[in-house]
Amino acid sequence: MTSFITRRLLLIIPTVFLALSFLFFLFFTLPGDPARLIAGGADRSIDEGVIERVNERYGLDDPLIVQFKDYWARTIQWDLGESFLTRRSVNDILNEKATASIRLAIWAIIIEIVVGIPVGLLSAIRRYSIGDRVTTILTAAASAIPVFVLGFVLQWMFAVQPNKLGWPEWAALRTQGIGPDSWALFFIPTGEQWRYLILPAITLASVSTALAARMMRGSMLEVLRADYMRTARAKGLRERDVVVKHGLRNAMLPVVTLIGIDFGVVIGAAVLTETTFSWPGLGSEIADSVTQRDLPVVLGLTLVVVLAFALINLLVDISYAWFDPRIRLGKGDSS
Amino acid sequence: MRRQRRGLKLLALILGLSLVAAACGGDDDDDGGAAEEAAPEEEAQQGGEVVDLGTFVGDPPEHIDPALNTTLDAYQVVNAVYDGLTDIDASDPDNPEIVPMVAETVESNDDATEWTFTIREGLTFAGGEEILPSTFQRSWERASDPEFAGDYSYLFNFIQGGAEKLDGTADTLEGVEADDENMTLTVTLAAPYANFDAVAGFQLFMPVPEEAGTDAATAAEWENGEMFGNGPFMLESPRTDTEIVLVPNPDWDGTNYDEVFELPEQPYLDRVTFRVSTDPDTSYNSFEAGEGDNANIPPGRFNEATSAYANTTDVAILGSYHFDVNHRDPVVGGPENKELRKAIMQAIDRDEINEAVYEGSRTVSNGITPEGIPGWGADLCDDCVYDPEAAQEHFDNWQAEGNELTEPLRIQYNIGAGHEPVVAIVIDNLAAIGIEAVEEGIDTETYFTQIAEGACQICRTGWFADYPTYDNFMYDLFHTDSLGGNNHGFSNPEFDELVDEAKQTTDPEQQAELFQEAESILLDEVGTIPLNWYRGDYVFNEEKLGGFTQTNFGLIFYEKVWVKS
Repeated sequence: MTSFITRRLLLIIPTVFLALSFLFFLFFTLPGDPARLIAGGADRSIDEGVIERVNERYGLDDPLIVQFKDYWARTIQWDLGESFLTRRSVNDILNEKATASIRLAIWAIIIEIVVGIPVGLLSAIRRYSIGDRVTTILTAAASAIPVFVLGFVLQWMFAVQPNKLGWPEWAALRTQGIGPDSWALFFIPTGEQWRYLILPAITLASVSTALAARMMRGSMLEVLRADYMRTARAKGLRERDVVVKHGLRNAMLPVVTLIGIDFGVVIGAAVLTETTFSWPGLGSEIADSVTQRDLPVVLGLTLVVVLAFALINLLVDISYAWFDPRIRLGKGDSS
Repeated sequence: MRRQRRGLKLLALILGLSLVAAACGGDDDDDGGAAEEAAPEEEAQQGGEVVDLGTFVGDPPEHIDPALNTTLDAYQVVNAVYDGLTDIDASDPDNPEIVPMVAETVESNDDATEWTFTIREGLTFAGGEEILPSTFQRSWERASDPEFAGDYSYLFNFIQGGAEKLDGTADTLEGVEADDENMTLTVTLAAPYANFDAVAGFQLFMPVPEEAGTDAATAAEWENGEMFGNGPFMLESPRTDTEIVLVPNPDWDGTNYDEVFELPEQPYLDRVTFRVSTDPDTSYNSFEAGEGDNANIPPGRFNEATSAYANTTDVAILGSYHFDVNHRDPVVGGPENKELRKAIMQAIDRDEINEAVYEGSRTVSNGITPEGIPGWGADLCDDCVYDPEAAQEHFDNWQAEGNELTEPLRIQYNIGAGHEPVVAIVIDNLAAIGIEAVEEGIDTETYFTQIAEGACQICRTGWFADYPTYDNFMYDLFHTDSLGGNNHGFSNPEFDELVDEAKQTTDPEQQAELFQEAESILLDEVGTIPLNWYRGDYVFNEEKLGGFTQTNFGLIFYEKVWVKS
């Protein structure tokens, strides 16, 4: 296990290097002159002298390979540079956006686990019951409804209408923003914070919860048909023990994989939810920075997303060993 | 089975009651719809806080340093934190005037080559640093520093030595002279310019304190910190990507300025919080949820918003929405294709666009320069009317001259900014008279660069006044020598001559006549195709806010806003 973890951690280095280098060179193939955009030339022409000075200041007129070397020389010292547009330190931007994204992502994943897995499990156990049919319809609807539509509907139902109907303050949720930004133990909202968190967390979790429920159902149905399950029942175990101790752990493997992937996605690609709720996260910041050709911000934030993906996938792989003791992680193992 | 049926019935009952409750709640809210009678205006009173949801919709501002800002929304903050040499008095919308502000008097010599600003005594920045003529000189040297590379730095070309300072061949602005003893700031211009007093009030020329520094690094630290100026407000804390919070500047006194501005001694509000919303519908939902005190009206909700809430849609904004024509294009440009351009001009149903796309929220334009610009003239464009028969005649004439459209005309626009339905209607209108056209969407970030570099054939564009002068539209957009503003090759010697002469004419009436004559030529030549002028776009909580209005620059003067009891 230790050698497995060490190998996987070391693999992160070339993963990050390749991903960011690819982005770096791709950036320069995008249409539009970054210097012109930095100088505000998106909607008016700029004096050529101004463009020259912008190029000089940011080294944009250096040969590409020189810019590439300079970039990595700074990055390995964790100096992610400064935003071309606002001149804010990318490290500062990252702190702000990454913590906001991770907090929201944690709650989206909690909802996915707490709702998606039991719903999928019950659906599988009570296959073809009314509960199963309702769940099937709801999960299909949840995965089909565009995230921003769901977000706007939830805003209307739980924030706009309560205000118009004169509900008490505590009963109304908030439509946007991160609020007082007050947390305990990094991710537990305190005070008014929960009113800002609920709607974006539910919105962000909607599709992945539906998918987790469907996958849990499918995986569990397969497991329930297995011979060892029949053997466990034949031994006289209670049905609950059969399902939870024998079935669930085996059925969880694909679901855990899905949750791992989702975690990475909700950290770095929750653009629609972040936009709908003005949640200052990584996804929307990266999207804005790409359109504004703000290269340091794009690379700096993407670095964090890549790292997050790599670490989360490592945790997922480690968890396989816990779920299924037959899986041994280490040299020679396929996982 | 019975238990399940009872459960389902109960669920249905609960859902039904909830729907009824929601329906009965309806829109009978306390926010004050337009249909209600206005309560008698109470006197302004001190105290209260406002949350502004309408200014920053989309992205947080890149800059709030007056030397670097280029956007209208951040100008709201700049205008609250800084006061300029002059400002515009739009109390009579038909006769807007430039009035001295930080300058007590403004005078020019006979040929408008030299301007003298007498600075009011006793004005300071927050914190007490005195504002002197040398303050302006230092601020202008800072803003014209090549290292700053501000988007608007080209305005220093107005000043003698400005061009040399910008390109690095001079260290100072030769034409600026500060006399702190006599409190005069004398500006010698590179060429006669009768409207320099209006330009001098623009953000680029606003004074900044010494803390703002003179190098780019210090300036960046300054604008990302607790910025303060000489205006009615200052930053309470460093701005973030989610909000900018302003509190009153204790060292500001509005009664120091001309009575025409009707400014209080101190802002009435204790705090103004500008919240950044990433989406216009979310911002409006927030307003409806009571989380803020004003919002922009999102696309498609104009009628809903204006019928439910007090709004500023009666304000004429100094902005034009139009289509430019690439005069270098062999199909649409040049005198030989004037008949085709006239056909296009008269084929477009501006009223249909205004109703279908903007729900009637814009003013259909018959020119480029909007009403509210000093010297504006009505009815300058005979062809800016929907007349498909006349359009057909022009098109037939063009074809009779031996011309032919071998491929569809291309209509360019920037994607994702709401122009798609406008372009669709234009294409439809052109098809009705036999002109085939296709849409060509270009990504917003590179749109203006691409069309400036030649991608334009007939391209969507717009212009908001930087400062309230006729030449900000005529010279900046269409003069042959315009530094980067005239991107599409419109060049007419008679037009240029009239604009040049108007810029030097100090008599307002004569100047207006000259500019109007120039604009008439522009429109007769179909140098551009006007569509509409912008109007105010805020809804606000009338029950809470007093004194809330939007100026024709789109600004809210929060120093005049108060919270009602």
